[in-house]
Amino acid sequence: MVQLTIDGKPVEVEEGATILQAAKKAGVAIPTLCYHPLIEPYAACRVCEVEVAFRGKRDLQTSCNTKAQAGMEIWTDSERVLETRRLNVEMLLARAPAAEPLREIAKDLGVETTRFPVKDPNEKCILCGLCVRACEQIVGASAISFVDRGSERRVSTPFGEESEACIGCTACAHFCPTGAITVEDKSGRQVIHDEMFLGPATAIRVPIRQAVPMIPFIDKSACIHFKTGECKVCAKVCDRAAVNFEQEDEVKEVEVGSIILASGFKTFDPRRIPAYGYGRYPNILTAMEFERMVNASGPTGGKVLKTDGASPQSVGIIHCVGSRDENYHPYCSRVCCMYSLKFAHLLKEKTGAAIYDFYIDMRCFGKGYEEFYHRLLEEGTKFVRGRVSEISTLALTDKEEGKLVIRVEDTLLGVVRRIPVDMAILAVGLEPDADHNHVAKTFNISCSQDTFFLERHPKLAPSSSFTDGVFLAGTCQGPKDIPDTVAQAGAAAAEALALADLGKVELEPTTAVIDEELCSACRICVGLCPFTAITVDSEKGAAVVNDALCKGCGTCVAACPSGASYQRHFRDEQIFAEIEGIFLV
Amino acid sequence: MPKLTIEALEDIRQKARGAPAGGKGRPARAVVNVHLGTCGSAAGARAVMDVLKAELDRRSLSDVLLTSSGCAGLCSQEPMATVEIAGQAPVKYANLTEAKIKAILEKHIVGGTVLAEYALGSGYEKTGGRPALNVRPGPESPAELLPSVPRLDEVPFFKKQVLIALRNRGLIDPASIDDYIARDGYKAAIMALTAMTPAAIIKEIALSGLRGRGGAGFPTGIKWDLVRNAAGGNGGPKYLVCNGDEGDPGAFMDRSILESDPHSVIEGMIVGAKAIGTATGFVYIRNEYPLAVEAVNRAIGQARDYGLLGRDILGTGFDFDLQVKRGAGAFVCGEETALLASIEGRLGEPRPRPPYPAQSGLWGQPTCINNVETWANVPAIITRGAKWFAGIGTETSKGTKVFSLVGKINNTGLVEVPMGITLREIVYDIGGGIPGGKAFKAVQTGGPSGGCIPNGKIDLPIDYESLTEAGSMMGSGGMVVMDEDTCMVDVARYFLSFTQDESCGKCTPCREGTKAMLDILTGITEGKGTPDDLVLLEDLARDIKDTALCGLGKTAPNPVLTTLRYFRGEYEAHILEKRCPAHVCRALNVYTIDPRLCLDKGRGCDVCRRNCASDAISGRKNEAHAIDQAKCIKCGVCADVCNFDAVRVE
Repeated sequence: MVQLTIDGKPVEVEEGATILQAAKKAGVAIPTLCYHPLIEPYAACRVCEVEVAFRGKRDLQTSCNTKAQAGMEIWTDSERVLETRRLNVEMLLARAPAAEPLREIAKDLGVETTRFPVKDPNEKCILCGLCVRACEQIVGASAISFVDRGSERRVSTPFGEESEACIGCTACAHFCPTGAITVEDKSGRQVIHDEMFLGPATAIRVPIRQAVPMIPFIDKSACIHFKTGECKVCAKVCDRAAVNFEQEDEVKEVEVGSIILASGFKTFDPRRIPAYGYGRYPNILTAMEFERMVNASGPTGGKVLKTDGASPQSVGIIHCVGSRDENYHPYCSRVCCMYSLKFAHLLKEKTGAAIYDFYIDMRCFGKGYEEFYHRLLEEGTKFVRGRVSEISTLALTDKEEGKLVIRVEDTLLGVVRRIPVDMAILAVGLEPDADHNHVAKTFNISCSQDTFFLERHPKLAPSSSFTDGVFLAGTCQGPKDIPDTVAQAGAAAAEALALADLGKVELEPTTAVIDEELCSACRICVGLCPFTAITVDSEKGAAVVNDALCKGCGTCVAACPSGASYQRHFRDEQIFAEIEGIFLV
Repeated sequence: MPKLTIEALEDIRQKARGAPAGGKGRPARAVVNVHLGTCGSAAGARAVMDVLKAELDRRSLSDVLLTSSGCAGLCSQEPMATVEIAGQAPVKYANLTEAKIKAILEKHIVGGTVLAEYALGSGYEKTGGRPALNVRPGPESPAELLPSVPRLDEVPFFKKQVLIALRNRGLIDPASIDDYIARDGYKAAIMALTAMTPAAIIKEIALSGLRGRGGAGFPTGIKWDLVRNAAGGNGGPKYLVCNGDEGDPGAFMDRSILESDPHSVIEGMIVGAKAIGTATGFVYIRNEYPLAVEAVNRAIGQARDYGLLGRDILGTGFDFDLQVKRGAGAFVCGEETALLASIEGRLGEPRPRPPYPAQSGLWGQPTCINNVETWANVPAIITRGAKWFAGIGTETSKGTKVFSLVGKINNTGLVEVPMGITLREIVYDIGGGIPGGKAFKAVQTGGPSGGCIPNGKIDLPIDYESLTEAGSMMGSGGMVVMDEDTCMVDVARYFLSFTQDESCGKCTPCREGTKAMLDILTGITEGKGTPDDLVLLEDLARDIKDTALCGLGKTAPNPVLTTLRYFRGEYEAHILEKRCPAHVCRALNVYTIDPRLCLDKGRGCDVCRRNCASDAISGRKNEAHAIDQAKCIKCGVCADVCNFDAVRVE
């Protein structure tokens, strides 16, 4: 331990601690600009100067990098210190008058204005180098550096061009104390409220606020450490040393008696309808993006904002995007009308903007839904019946200038209308998830025409599949809202429990049987069996039916070229005998 | 190529001693040595060389050996050449032209008669108080002097000089390692590698009192000891660096040594490598010195061929190799931490010290950095002993110091003088005084980090302490002499504009402060100064001195502080009377034409009117001319072109 005095107060700090750290321990505030606890001290701004008396010498030292040594006497507010800080801050003010942290320090020191010529009143960069050092020391990319010398010094990429070394992590902007670095997202996706995608998408996070267990995970695709091998800031700040970079995803095999498939859906990608301009024009949002925005814990804190930061004056909500459309999905996605109504209600409440709902038919079929629709009508939402043909930024009149123009045939008025709005929300439909086919194959599930999983019977067995012990719940079986999903999931769970309660499996009485004498192991039946119930026993040289899997569909019986396959209770002789009996009557 | 043993090297030395320098062992009746440093080349030495070569070829004088060496020191009298007839003392000729060299060839080389009117001197310069070492007569025997020309060591410019770092000046061909070996070259290396322990080497250097010649004057022996005893991080290697990033305006000591005697630096570094225990060294040279880069690279190649660098040097089992790193021209890279960053391939900017490079330098390893001149001193100290070296100079500053003497002085050039010599001796005895009978005003030492020493302190003895006390510093050795026509405010402004431009921009006081000071000084020279400016200037200077990060920043205000200290009146004249006493700051000058001089002497020659850029001058031929002050833009052209001194500047 090292003992020293700061402003007359005795302090004890560990060996190797800086004067700044010692002052913090002593409760003495020292202003800093180029210092950050996660980055090596740089000692460039010279604002953290303190007066140090040590070994018979008394001079000014930067506290951020000078090590505290036993017997040092330090003054942080002597006239010499304050004068130096004032002059250095005054000079910096001439460079970056718009830098907020600098202005605060200047105010604390009593520096109101600067006597030195100001080059750019909007300049924010104080040349503290935190961005450069973060890029080098934390990210390990070294994509930016200082260029030029002296008063011409500035931060730049090599030759001022986009740097290949930049991994787009935006750490530079995060470490910039003055907001001098802004980030622009140029890759493919449109720029919607910059921070929308940058803010919450930290590489280490809890998946959602309600997540159980409430444990953060590292998104390897976004994590700087997995790109460059550096950073590890999360591990540095975690005082429980809980961050583990070696953990890998595990595949576990579990034996179960029954399975409930609830593999969900994805929303329709509106880029497939180029006429709607999604991804090309600003302020066109999908329903999910809008949900994120109005969420109080979202990037805008629940405020509805355009990309320029202003609140929209008019919003259009377009129904049936990708649904009820022969070009995409003919089916109705069932949920869009109601969530669109919710959006309209929220928008009215939060912005007071003019709301247009473009619908084909209002499908408000659930409990209390129709009443909600009527409430919206009373709130003044403008409902326009007709399918939107195009959203563009092409202005034909002054009123349309700078707006998104929605072109729609109003089928109630019988005219084509052009409605300019500030923001458009696309009520995208539901479609099977990307790995839907893979799941179907794995569990031997059939799909209906709309490509969702096929239930065993639409009325009598809506949560069962054709495979025994595999049940369906939610939107993997077809678009449905939350109450319907919960109800179906309950039913599926009950059926699975019933099986477990029974303790045994009831077999079909009419399974197929192979006559080993007649079978030539041609394997035609093997390929045809929809339940993979038939295998060939190479020792016997004949096909064998697994009674537990066979559903008695009879496909193999009809297909067998040698008549070796027959169905219990439905043998040819029995059928023929029955037919004969009919004729006898 | 087989590497040499020590015995083989001694053989080479003996052979080279018996033959003329640069002759590659070939005997000759006469040797002509043209001094081809950068300075000589610029003055036309190459043309002299070419003419001489053509003449020798034409006359088929195959027994005359034509060779070249580096800078001979007296830049103002370049081109220079030395003619040496076998058995006679060499004669140095100066201010050569093509006609003169032809005459010298005819009369002296062929005819054997010295052309006394072109000759500067004969014989050799003084090297450290002992008779000169020469190539041909052997190191111990002084040459027979010629009566018709003065002895070279009696010529005023050379008389008070003592050559240690420049001991081979004008005597060896920098492209020939044999020349260097003949003049006791690599003797120190052999001694260090075979007969001395690292501790003994360090002790010798410490006893000699050698201090860093880069400017700060840190005792070299202590530095080596620190590096030797520093625990390398992870037990990794240590490094040796030669700082050849000489950037001070008007300084060219290091360039001259690197160009003219690269082996002396290499040998010094071999000794240093043995002392601190390293196998890797770097020579950092700014790329603006192409001849130096070429010379050092060539010398390293030769040393490697002789087995003086590389593995198992001269069979002693000691490994050491060098490589040249070129600097991109940033002045700040002469600062040691910035230089190290530059070698590492990083942005050349300083970092806070401690840790010092001796503890944590290149790639975090203990690193010993010394200046070119320091390294060049090392072999001489080892071969001649610490006692001899310590016998030269003053109590605290031992040995000699090389200065580049430039500015308003008759004999500009490179001078090596013992420490403790007074400024007066340098300016008047060596430098030959101020040209045109003007009055001496001040001398600027230490480059942009130094300050101006006024006439009143002309008897100041030159050593590290007294210069610092006077507000200046030793620096790397630039010495700019100024006469009465120099405006001290303008000088301060010039140096500030240099440091401002060369500031790396890392720390606030240097980046913003030097800019602010420059703005104020520029304002003062343009007549916009106010008395408050001087207060602010002093505040800024104190702030920068106190809080700048590196040595360059901390010393940047020195030119302003010293001029304010010694020449405050000039500042006040600019600010209060809006007048530049030296008439340098043209914005403050008032140009008028003396009608009588104009008419009587010049008969209204009209040259001024025709050259006036702003049509401010009225008058016709045979009439007195006059300047319209409202139109005058104070460019000063009229005063420059008037042949009758009729234009008055006030």
